Amino acid sequence: MAAINVESIKQDRIEIRVEDATKGAVVRFIGDIDMEDPSKLLDPFLAKVHSEAIEKKLEVVSADFTKLNFLNSSGIKSIAKWVMKLSTAEHKYKLRFLHDPSISWQATSLQTLTFLVPGAVTVEK
Amino acid sequence: MGKLTASGGYVELKFGPQWKYIAICRAFLQNFLAVSVDDAKKSDTIAMAASELLENGVKYASNDGTVIRVAVTAEEDPKISVRVTNSATAQQAAELKEIFRKVMSGDPLQTYMELMRQAAVREDGKSQLGLARIRYETNARMHLEVSDDNEITIGLDV
Repeated sequence: MAAINVESIKQDRIEIRVEDATKGAVVRFIGDIDMEDPSKLLDPFLAKVHSEAIEKKLEVVSADFTKLNFLNSSGIKSIAKWVMKLSTAEHKYKLRFLHDPSISWQATSLQTLTFLVPGAVTVEK
Repeated sequence: MGKLTASGGYVELKFGPQWKYIAICRAFLQNFLAVSVDDAKKSDTIAMAASELLENGVKYASNDGTVIRVAVTAEEDPKISVRVTNSATAQQAAELKEIFRKVMSGDPLQTYMELMRQAAVREDGKSQLGLARIRYETNARMHLEVSDDNEITIGLDV
């Protein structure tokens, strides 16, 4: 049985794949998030990931950004919304951001998101 | 600061303010910066900033074109400047002035975090995070000029 019941999506130049992982799930972002309003796609999708992670009591959810070439500030807003949900979640799961050090914006932009809810999110290679 | 691999130069692009052209401009500018500045991290950071400025240049534009100029100086300590210019309505110009004022106040990281928290609860589809992101991630000197006929130029110098 799948860890979480969230279907992968593909729109414009972004594909987001959901896969099972040890003690949790992996959400892989592939392509570019540079639409005018990414929240229409990302907000309901990440809300579903979050609610499934809580319902299934997952230990960890990894957001794999290693294949994400670009993330605009509107996309950062949607990721921030997801991170902030962790502060009030009834089940606390670890959120890991996987990044590619050779993609320059990832180190700074993703690290900034971890400051929203200290201790809830890590950034790893 | 990075070193110049060639003599200083600039590119200037003008396009009809349509969202779909931003990615094309970003890719072009990434290539320009890659051959002009011998510092991959700096090139990518400035390309990100240019893309965010272009998004503003489209969002806050009237029907005229949006112009971006990226220049790299041929100095021992080379400077990169980015200017995005577009025509706007009086209301758009006023809105942008207020956003710019908020972004430029206080510590760059603290301001960015506070705007991020505010953006996360917005329901109007707007983020208003682009300028704060640029300020924090580039540590550039940023400026906004609005002419009497509401032509907006946002610039950054690194």
